Amino acid sequence: MINKLLTPKNLRNLIIIMVVAGVLFLAISGYLTPVFSFSVSPLISAQSWLSQRYLAFSDFFNSPRDMATLRAQNAQLENEVAMLQSEIVALQENLAQSDILYTLLDFARTNPEHEYVAATVIGREISPFLQYIIIDKGSNDGLRHGMPVVTQQGLVGRIDALISDASRIQLITDANSSVNVKLQTAGVEGLVRGSVTGEISLDMVPVDSEVQIGDILMTSGLGGTYPPNIFVGQVLTMQSKQNVLFQTGSVQPVVDFSNLSAVLVITNFNSVDISPLVP
Amino acid sequence: MWSYLIGFTGFLLTAVLQMSIFSQWKILSGSADIVLLFVVAWCLHDRNKQLWLLVIVMAGIAGSISALPAYIPIVVYLFVFRVSKLFQARLMQSPLLSMLVLTFAATLLQLILSMGYLFVIQVDLNFSDALVEVALPSVLLNMLLAIPIHAIVREIGVYAFPKGVEA
Repeated sequence: MINKLLTPKNLRNLIIIMVVAGVLFLAISGYLTPVFSFSVSPLISAQSWLSQRYLAFSDFFNSPRDMATLRAQNAQLENEVAMLQSEIVALQENLAQSDILYTLLDFARTNPEHEYVAATVIGREISPFLQYIIIDKGSNDGLRHGMPVVTQQGLVGRIDALISDASRIQLITDANSSVNVKLQTAGVEGLVRGSVTGEISLDMVPVDSEVQIGDILMTSGLGGTYPPNIFVGQVLTMQSKQNVLFQTGSVQPVVDFSNLSAVLVITNFNSVDISPLVP
Repeated sequence: MWSYLIGFTGFLLTAVLQMSIFSQWKILSGSADIVLLFVVAWCLHDRNKQLWLLVIVMAGIAGSISALPAYIPIVVYLFVFRVSKLFQARLMQSPLLSMLVLTFAATLLQLILSMGYLFVIQVDLNFSDALVEVALPSVLLNMLLAIPIHAIVREIGVYAFPKGVEA
């Protein structure tokens, strides 16, 4: 019976099965790992080498197209960024303009005795000797020659010339400008004059009056050129010389004339030309 | 005709730039006058004998824009036109030099006339301040801007004066 079973063929099969089972057992047990590593690592190296070459080869042919696509996308994104940045700038400008207009509106509400027309500053005088600005409102908006111009801070000047849609404003800093003022603390009156350099000075203050530094100057209304009680500036320095009738001084204007962007024109004040009455 | 159109358009553009931008660029109290610089550069490049017509129109516009009396730009611009014709005949081998010399002379003339006008209308004018704080810085700025304005007008001149462009 055993001899029948142990035929050479069966014995060979049995040995093969035992060898395979043994190898499987050794592999599952981990005893063959070094052998596998030793035999597989050349294959992995070869595959890695081949894969890298293939990728390089593939990039060589595909990258120009990808670069073109990326460049196009980059340009598009840059355009979008530029557009958004310009929108931000425009919105910031609108915000700044709105702030100015709100402030002017507040000024108009707190000074209800006057009627106002808001205007934007669109230009400045060409000659460096003169201090004028140009605004975007003219006779079509009800403006007339001589109307006073103010901001929320104080007095700016008066309309010197106008056309239908624009006006030229003579600033109080102009050399040919003079404003009758009163000093709030000292209780005396004086005259504020401009100059070719854009600075303003106080003149015609009686020599016996005591003027303090920092005293506030407001329009007096004398002369009929400007309405009374509009801020003009503050006294910076005063000087009085011997044998003169009046003191003079320098004035810090309340309005920043270098950054004027919007103004209010007082439309219900008609200036009076008293020059024919001057002897 | 074509040069008149280009010159007039350039003048208007320069006037807008002057009022909106360049009048605010100051050294002390002086500022540049690119309108005058444009007129100087244009007169130096344009050989048209009837150019004085355009110059008078430009002076009229400048006079109406500015608070200065209109006769000041008329006198100054005609002076520029006349001297530019002399320079074209004698100094055109060095147009940039002509531009600088004429800019200096025209700016000085304009500033002197402006100060004279203020003196006549009895403005309390401090000549020392006017000279140091306004006139000299204005001359300096004009001299500095004369070079780029000259270059720009020369480029425009390629289209405006196709046959008579110099430099």
